[in-house]
Amino acid sequence: MTRRTDDPMRGFGGALAALGLATAAHVTSLPAWVILLLIAIGAWRWLANRRGWPLPPQWLRATIAVIAALVVLGTYRTLNGIEAGTAFLALMAGVKLLETRSARDLTVIVFIAYFLLFAAMLRDQRLTQVPYLLAGAAFATAALMRVHAGSAGDSWREVLLRSAVLLLQALPLAVALFVLFPRLPGPFWGIAGKESARTGLSDEMTPGDVSDLTASGDVAFRVRFSGRAPPPALRYWRGPVLHEFDGRSWRRTRGQAFPLQEVEYSGAPIDYQITLEPHDRTWILALDLPVEWPEREAYRGFDFQLLSPRPITEVASYSLRSYPTYRAGAVLPKSIRNKDLQLPDARNPRAVALGRALAAQHREPQAIVRAMLTMFREQPFAYTMQPPKLADNAMDEFLFQTRKGFCEHYASAFTLVMRAAGIPARVVTGYQGGEMNPIGGYLLVRQSDAHAWSEVWIDDRGWVRVDPTAAVAPERIERGLIGALDADEPVPGRLRQQSALWLRAELTWDAMNDFWNERIVRFNAARQFDLLERLGFKEPDWRTLGLGLAASLAVFFLALSAYLGWKFREPARDWPARLHAEASRKLKRRGVIPGPSEGPVAYLDRAAASCPDLARDLAEIRAVYVALRYGPQPTEADLRRLKHLVNRLRT
Amino acid sequence: MQHPIRRLRSLLDARVQAWIKRRQGIDPDPLLLHRRRIYILPTRLGFAYAAMLFGMVLGGMNYNNNLGLGLAFLLVSLGLVTMHHCHGTLSGLGLRLLATESAFVGEPVQFRLLLENRAQVPRPRIELSADDVVQEVVDVPRDGSAPARLQVVAPRRGRIPLPRLVVATRHPLGLFRAWAVVHPEYSAIAWPRPAPRGLPPHGVETDTGGAQDRAQGDEDFAGLKPYQPGDSLRRIAWKAYARGQGLHTKQYAGTDVVSHVFDWDALPGLDTEPRLAQLCRWVLDAHEHGEAFGLRLPGIVIEPNIGTAHRQRCLTALALFEPGRTHDSAH
Repeated sequence: MTRRTDDPMRGFGGALAALGLATAAHVTSLPAWVILLLIAIGAWRWLANRRGWPLPPQWLRATIAVIAALVVLGTYRTLNGIEAGTAFLALMAGVKLLETRSARDLTVIVFIAYFLLFAAMLRDQRLTQVPYLLAGAAFATAALMRVHAGSAGDSWREVLLRSAVLLLQALPLAVALFVLFPRLPGPFWGIAGKESARTGLSDEMTPGDVSDLTASGDVAFRVRFSGRAPPPALRYWRGPVLHEFDGRSWRRTRGQAFPLQEVEYSGAPIDYQITLEPHDRTWILALDLPVEWPEREAYRGFDFQLLSPRPITEVASYSLRSYPTYRAGAVLPKSIRNKDLQLPDARNPRAVALGRALAAQHREPQAIVRAMLTMFREQPFAYTMQPPKLADNAMDEFLFQTRKGFCEHYASAFTLVMRAAGIPARVVTGYQGGEMNPIGGYLLVRQSDAHAWSEVWIDDRGWVRVDPTAAVAPERIERGLIGALDADEPVPGRLRQQSALWLRAELTWDAMNDFWNERIVRFNAARQFDLLERLGFKEPDWRTLGLGLAASLAVFFLALSAYLGWKFREPARDWPARLHAEASRKLKRRGVIPGPSEGPVAYLDRAAASCPDLARDLAEIRAVYVALRYGPQPTEADLRRLKHLVNRLRT
Repeated sequence: MQHPIRRLRSLLDARVQAWIKRRQGIDPDPLLLHRRRIYILPTRLGFAYAAMLFGMVLGGMNYNNNLGLGLAFLLVSLGLVTMHHCHGTLSGLGLRLLATESAFVGEPVQFRLLLENRAQVPRPRIELSADDVVQEVVDVPRDGSAPARLQVVAPRRGRIPLPRLVVATRHPLGLFRAWAVVHPEYSAIAWPRPAPRGLPPHGVETDTGGAQDRAQGDEDFAGLKPYQPGDSLRRIAWKAYARGQGLHTKQYAGTDVVSHVFDWDALPGLDTEPRLAQLCRWVLDAHEHGEAFGLRLPGIVIEPNIGTAHRQRCLTALALFEPGRTHDSAH
């Protein structure tokens, strides 16, 4: 038989590369053992392919598959959800590698690579994923091409290039589908909760936590103000409010219902839209103090914290209204008073004693607050990102020995002393400040702007914000972290402060990210219709989408067919030959049909003989044709003459 | 007993094939595959791909994840793009019969084809199949051609037509298969299978007087003729060559050359096919021994001669012999 035998493992390297690239997208989230196992299997399989080692027997592969599935199940307690699903899929790819021997097996590997890539997009849809998506798709497609339809001599580069070209051709329709495909509001099935360690605030604060967080320059959220942005001193972004204190750490309350307190507000409102980066928690950061929020997407807790009914796992945006001048709470319900006066027994005795002494010294709560702030200001307290480690009676050590601390130390110590002095107090965590991005026109708040302050109850003023850090390091509030710290402390973005070019580059990049988040990541059914309206469709509905989809498919198909038709076109015949063909088409009407082996000149002679009325014209056509075709110097004029003669030919 | 579904499928398939044949008719040679005669359907891989994409779109909607949806839509679009590429790879491909090679019954006759591509892009992975068996996978270069060879085991003697020829491709990703059904008028000749050796040839005649001009023997030297490739080296006139007269072959007039005439009528009592098989055997043996032979069939007489072309002629006569028609002509 002459059937060419193809190497069934052709494209193995490509499939392996595609799988590797797709798995690399999950390197930070997959357990290390999965990655290592995959690398080991991949390397072994690659060697086995080169050296012709036998593959492991069926029972061994089955055992490995079952064990891997069980371990994943044990680790995640589920196979549903992105993380567990990814781990499972990656392991199955590994097992599949062990039995890969045909083109079909390789195809399965490529499909798994596509799906792993998809899972990577589900896990994280930041702008930085886009190059990854494109490269991954190009590699997987190239692998598929190599397995299925390449020719033996194709180099990897060529195949990769061809798959990139195919993807490029696919891009216009992909964009149309993205814009026009009807978006159904999900979810259709339960989304397993993700347990990830994203940087961000938590519902617990131990001295040292916030300073760790501020080491990250990641974006926390972006804010677009309708009017002017408030001055830096008013940019307190309220996050989790912490009530429970165990002598060392502060926590949110759990499992206890408190009455809601009323808020009165006055002065000018601040309207803004806040776009949160996903943090997997339920809180929504809001400028002190939020009074209006989208009803279905958020609610305000008893301690004025805005919360979302669901964890924020995707970029989320909220339109809010806050009033910087407010009176929070007219009377203090007993349950809240008790909660915010609670002190742990037998911890931090000196701090408690300090509070009691202050209470004995001053009658007015305001005076107690002032006295404590004066102590921070006048005694040698220092503001630093690298505070010394503290032991059991942490606040005693801080207040009376080390006296070096970050915002959480001051907030924590202050709140504790206030409680000891009989003033209801709590710790508020959140962000303070932010940086205006002139390119995007929004306020950018980073994790490094994380902050903690205190809130005390004063009978005729309600809950009052007190920021003890401002007493120690007023620059922190006015100029941000970098301005408040010594030059030798490592702070993210110091380079940014020193180089204008770098600053500009970073702000531009952030504006791009913001655009990506706003336009692409948060694209949904509502925005789809908005876009259609802006494109000129009046009152778009599902039918508009369907028609648009059909129209873009039709346009795409026609354009692609035309392009491919042009690409596969036959080379244009030369003009003399075309004109001769045209002449013979005309002469056919007179019954002069060119013979299969008849030359053009012989044909014209025969035609002239059988149509005497055309003989003169045909003789001239023959002469010009011969001159064009065989003459030493064919001229443009000859060609024009031939055109004219052929067009004039009347049969 | 066939499975009912399979039977239904084959019935349907036969209907479709008949429809295609009615629609297209017999194809000329050379043939240019027009785009209107190219059919295209997703392969099993294509359906798997579609299922994967369906899952991706569903997952993207479920997680409300636009980047995931973006990937899914890109791959959907990619699939549709490859559909066009697959179709384009076949559309405009030229097909031409180069030659056929005869064979004995039971052995494969060969059809040598040329795939021609006048486009400036290559047409890779063209599958050629006869009777639903893929026989060749050919890459046709841009503005060039590639040979292909199809073979059909001859079930009987006579003209063996090339059965339903399918030209297909899965280029570039294997998600779609485009194919064209070709009904060419190509046929190759299958010779009768020779009978086993044993029966000595009848009708040995000694040809005297060189009645056949072109039958050459070994006995009487009759002169020189210019050498032609294929002449026996033993008959080259080396002496003449040494004299510088160039290469010549010695010609002999056969006076007592052994020359056979294999006669249909010398084998009475045998059916048509065994008779042809026996005649075939004698032809082959005589050719092998370098003996001259002729053939006498009802209505056909081939004068004794030698050489490969003569052998071919005799075998073809045996292959195409139709007893019914010769009976008619005999009457």
